Amino acid sequence: MKLNPKIDELLNSFTDGELTTRQQTEVHRLAAHDPQVRQRLKFLQKCKLLLGSLPCAQAPSTMAEDVVAALERKTLLGRLPSPMEQKIGARHLFIRKVLSVAAIIVLVAVLSAVVYVIVTPRRTPQPPNTITARTTPPAVEPIESAPTVVAAGFTGRLELKTSSFIEVDASINRAVADNDLLNCISLSREPDRSEYVLACTPKGLDELLSDLEAIWHNLDSATLSVQTEEFGRPVVVDAVTAPQVLEIASQNTAEKSVEVAKDLAVLNNLAEVLPGKEVLAAASAKTSDFAVTSRIPKPVLTGWPKTIKTSPRRVETKGNVNLVITVLTGR
Amino acid sequence: MTERQTHFARFYGNFAAGFQSESRIKGVAQPFNINSDDTLLVEQCRLGRSAAMERLVLKYQDRIYNVILKICANPDDAAELCQEAFVKVLENIDKFEARSSFYTWLFRIAVNLTLNHCQRSARLQTRSLDASDDAHTENARQMLQDFLSDDSSPDPAAVAQNKELGRIALRALMKLDDVHRTVIVLRDIEGMNYAQIARVLGIELGTVKSRLSRARDNLKDMMENLCNEVESKNRRAAQ
Repeated sequence: MKLNPKIDELLNSFTDGELTTRQQTEVHRLAAHDPQVRQRLKFLQKCKLLLGSLPCAQAPSTMAEDVVAALERKTLLGRLPSPMEQKIGARHLFIRKVLSVAAIIVLVAVLSAVVYVIVTPRRTPQPPNTITARTTPPAVEPIESAPTVVAAGFTGRLELKTSSFIEVDASINRAVADNDLLNCISLSREPDRSEYVLACTPKGLDELLSDLEAIWHNLDSATLSVQTEEFGRPVVVDAVTAPQVLEIASQNTAEKSVEVAKDLAVLNNLAEVLPGKEVLAAASAKTSDFAVTSRIPKPVLTGWPKTIKTSPRRVETKGNVNLVITVLTGR
Repeated sequence: MTERQTHFARFYGNFAAGFQSESRIKGVAQPFNINSDDTLLVEQCRLGRSAAMERLVLKYQDRIYNVILKICANPDDAAELCQEAFVKVLENIDKFEARSSFYTWLFRIAVNLTLNHCQRSARLQTRSLDASDDAHTENARQMLQDFLSDDSSPDPAAVAQNKELGRIALRALMKLDDVHRTVIVLRDIEGMNYAQIARVLGIELGTVKSRLSRARDNLKDMMENLCNEVESKNRRAAQ
């Protein structure tokens, strides 16, 4: 006859030591009154003793080696990342990624530097410059950095200020008409200002200036601005005379015109400063020769073989004279 | 066994061997004391330390193998399943969340692997562990009958030294179905308490109690059948 399953569970739990003290007391009470319970308890204890005394089998001695070998085999077959190297591998992978990114950045930087060196214009190294005074004027040696004249040819503005505005203006009109330059000139006139825009040959300018030379003693000031390629930086020759204007405008090239204008600007300024007006008188007497022979030495760059480069933009201005003559009242 | 294995076995095996031999003397399988360094070993395994992995294997290999062998009843299969269990544990060591002890987690994996294997394998037979000859079997059956019918309290040391008795008890155990055999092995051989068994098998505590009760009831029937075979044989011989 089988025991009640609940009682049997209770007896099993009693045998396994899983009961509370109260439950154990209950089992003792049951066993004291019921021989079947007593018998069942005895069997359970014997059964437990019998199974517990079974020999413990030992694993094969190569178990640990086999496990490690199996893990390595799986790793080699690529079926899984090695658990031994999962953490280390992740760290190595991260380091490799960082190094790869760093290498790419360095490579891009180097390539950028190379491209920059190739693309940007190369500046030839210049040794330190010294400034010396040259006793003889250089033979029309174009300086690389000198401003070049605009391609349109000689372009300048002659500004004449006079207190005898009407007389001077009439003289100019007459000279234009006498030299048959009416087709080469456009006139704009205001009450105290007349502007003659002249586009002619150097010869025409020569004839015009020859006629205008007589009015020069009526002028309060005469200023010639020679236009250069550099915007807003004309060469200004103060106290310019008619022969000087002709000399500047009749140069073969616009660049030479600028050079001569510079020389004469220095000369005129110097003549104004020096007492006695000897220089100015000499300049007035024979401007061309004086301008050539007594040109004030300019600082020049030395210390490195000057390579004379001909600017591809240099334009012959012979035959192209653009001169704006502005007559202003001196009031 | 390699030198390193020997080294670790000296540290971890001696304690286990000493404890188990003590249990043998008492004749009672008791819950094995889980070393507190399991957590440390697991952490080191997670860091990829192969030495820690070997230590874990060496620490638990005999107990895992013993349980698997008692369930599947085939030494070769047991060795293979044991190795597979350790490989699986070490592969998934990162997934161990420490909600239970490592010991429980390890046995859960091993027992599940073994039960799956038993369900798949048609080779699971009791023949593997009870292949002794008939003469020994008859003798053992007689010993079992005497053991069960004896009203006096048995001597645990004498029972432990009686190999014939153990063999027939094992034969009876192997006649149980897998589920009942597993719960008895975990309780009476491995020495787990009910809560640990519930966690390893993934069942409720009440289910453990009822399953254990039925398993022992069935085991009693198996033993009595074996004893009855001896009685009927003796009766036929007397006639």
